[in-house]
Amino acid sequence: MPLRFLSSLAFLAVLLFPVATSAASLKEIQARGYMTVATEDDYAPFEFVEGGKPKGFHHDVVAELKKYAKFEIRQEILPWTGLLAAVSTGKYDTAITGSIVSQERLQVFNFAAPIAGATHYYIKRVKDDRIKSVADLNGLTVGVQAGSVLLSRLPELAAMLKKTGGKLGKVVEYTSYPEIYEDLANGRLDYAVNGIINATALVKERGKIFAIGQPVSGAGFHAWPVPKANEDLLAYLTGFVAHLRKTGKLAELQKKWFGTAFPDLPTEPIRSFEQYKKLAGLE
Amino acid sequence: MDQAALHTLLLGAWTTAWISAVAVAGGVPLGLALALLREARIPVVGHIIVLYVSLGRATPLVTLVLFIFVGAPLLGIPLDRYTAAIVTLLLNTAAFNAEVWRAAIRSFPHEQVEAARAAGMTRVLIFRRIMLPQIWITSLPGLVNEMTFLIKASPAIGVIGIVDLTRVTNRISAITYEPLPPILVAAALYMVAIGTLVRLQRLLDARAQRLAM
Amino acid sequence: MNKWEILWNHREMILGGFKSTLVLFGVSAIAAFLLSSLIVLAIRTGRAPFGRVVRGVVDGMRMLPFLIYAYLLYYGLPSLGIRFDAWTAGFIALITYHAAYFAEILRGTWATLSTGQAEAARAHGFTTFMMYRRIILPQLVLRAAPVLGNQVIICLKDTAFLSIITVRELTAAASAVQSQYFIPFEAFIVAIGLYWLTSMLIEALVARLGFAAERKGLGYKLAAVRR
Repeated sequence: MPLRFLSSLAFLAVLLFPVATSAASLKEIQARGYMTVATEDDYAPFEFVEGGKPKGFHHDVVAELKKYAKFEIRQEILPWTGLLAAVSTGKYDTAITGSIVSQERLQVFNFAAPIAGATHYYIKRVKDDRIKSVADLNGLTVGVQAGSVLLSRLPELAAMLKKTGGKLGKVVEYTSYPEIYEDLANGRLDYAVNGIINATALVKERGKIFAIGQPVSGAGFHAWPVPKANEDLLAYLTGFVAHLRKTGKLAELQKKWFGTAFPDLPTEPIRSFEQYKKLAGLE
Repeated sequence: MDQAALHTLLLGAWTTAWISAVAVAGGVPLGLALALLREARIPVVGHIIVLYVSLGRATPLVTLVLFIFVGAPLLGIPLDRYTAAIVTLLLNTAAFNAEVWRAAIRSFPHEQVEAARAAGMTRVLIFRRIMLPQIWITSLPGLVNEMTFLIKASPAIGVIGIVDLTRVTNRISAITYEPLPPILVAAALYMVAIGTLVRLQRLLDARAQRLAM
Repeated sequence: MNKWEILWNHREMILGGFKSTLVLFGVSAIAAFLLSSLIVLAIRTGRAPFGRVVRGVVDGMRMLPFLIYAYLLYYGLPSLGIRFDAWTAGFIALITYHAAYFAEILRGTWATLSTGQAEAARAHGFTTFMMYRRIILPQLVLRAAPVLGNQVIICLKDTAFLSIITVRELTAAASAVQSQYFIPFEAFIVAIGLYWLTSMLIEALVARLGFAAERKGLGYKLAAVRR
């Protein structure tokens, strides 16, 4: 009987090991006539749902892509937590989403030319007079999303604080930002860290409670991830971004959804951490 | 708490209610199917079911819903949040229901089956006309008990972004900056729902005892 | 690099989370049990309104989802000026919530004990507390072992809810690892496996208790205490 039990375990184990397919190259996409794109639905202002309708920067971008591409664009909405994993195993050709370029991600993906800046800023309570500059963050408690780029770039903030003789305080990791902002409002956290676009959106809505401070990281970029092997698809998407830039659509959509254009973004795809460090101006 | 907040809260309550209802509607029959399959003593299938029930009862709902939501697209099944939540709750409650049904099936008096066989009834007919109506009455208290556990565990679906009755309190306090009122009202709503089910369970229990089953 | 290798390289994150889960669950289960034995004593022997009030609170807790109770302690209390950190709120939630459930189980089991024992004990000069500790409580535990064991497993599963209020336990650790290194299946399978292992250990312990009970002549196969 133990043998039978083990065999059923083995049977289940086989079921659970996903068969990874390799992502389609551009030629294969053109041959089969469609490209599969993964997007998110809960990341304002990049992509979100309002009144039952999808909206956002990337919603408009995908509309442009449909005009630009000679093949069909099939869009699937996925949760953020599984989105990059799904693209990395080739289930989708790319993700048109607000993912931020990071060292870990660069090991698995290349990124098309960035479409927005993602410098990290600190967010504090408006009424909190202790914090007027980055140096004042010394020893204070910060909240960030677990497993995020915001968390992995905190060492840059620690380095900034060290220069002014301070150090990073307690770091609390959360499953998502609404809970972070709630704890910032009720005093459990002293500050939160998020990308400039999200911080701006937050303050626009809740400016009576929260305020943006100064940058706590080097430059960052929002860009679309493409699995490493897929060079021609990477070139294609970078070409699409260049097309948006040339026609002025990129700046127009940036202003519409982020409140500001990002004129100084790199125009080349990002393939390695060394290249990224140079582009971001990190030592 | 103002009108808008109350409205949002009731929407959250509705979300919890309909998702739980669908999960129960699927989980009760699935549990029965699993129990029957297990009692049929088919070699490999029986062991898989034992494995499934054991895993299903030991896995926290939060972990399971994340696993299914994040993992399904990797198997090529794009699941939206609501489907993922329903599937998770369904799989979880079916594992518990399987044990409830199994206990009822096991305690079913074999004499009735023998008598029916002697009268020439087929297995399917025996099950449909004789067993099912009776084990239904015996299992009902246990099934309703499991429904209360389902509702108590349902807030787990908040981790995948569903705004259910618990998560909605975060949304409300993000606007009103007063977290306590919505949490208290949500707690009250849960207690009313679960309290009603507990009452129902006691009534069903009394009925089963009365019918001497 | 194979995905399982990636997971192995970051195993401290998962194992750290598992350790936190075990600490939360272990301490809370024990503390909840101790608290519940006092609660049951209060319900059975307490003076009229007090016993009833306690019983009312216990019944109330059993109609509340664990997470909303944790929310109340973590997000609700700050408006009253009481701000617990995540771990404190987690412990308080687990201990008081499960104490209510244990209390109800013990109370129901007590109702099935024969009353002659109490009279005999009194005749021998036992105080209420001594009688409870030496005679009644051991019987309650041994009789209700399977149901208590089930409740302990529920306590284990409830620790996962605490990831939502920022406690870095096993589920939070698995979620963080998988989103950073793109290994959802591997991370969650290991997490689920660890929960499963722990609950099987608990069931094995309960079975051992059952044998001990039978050896002492206390292991009746009662019909399930239906509540």
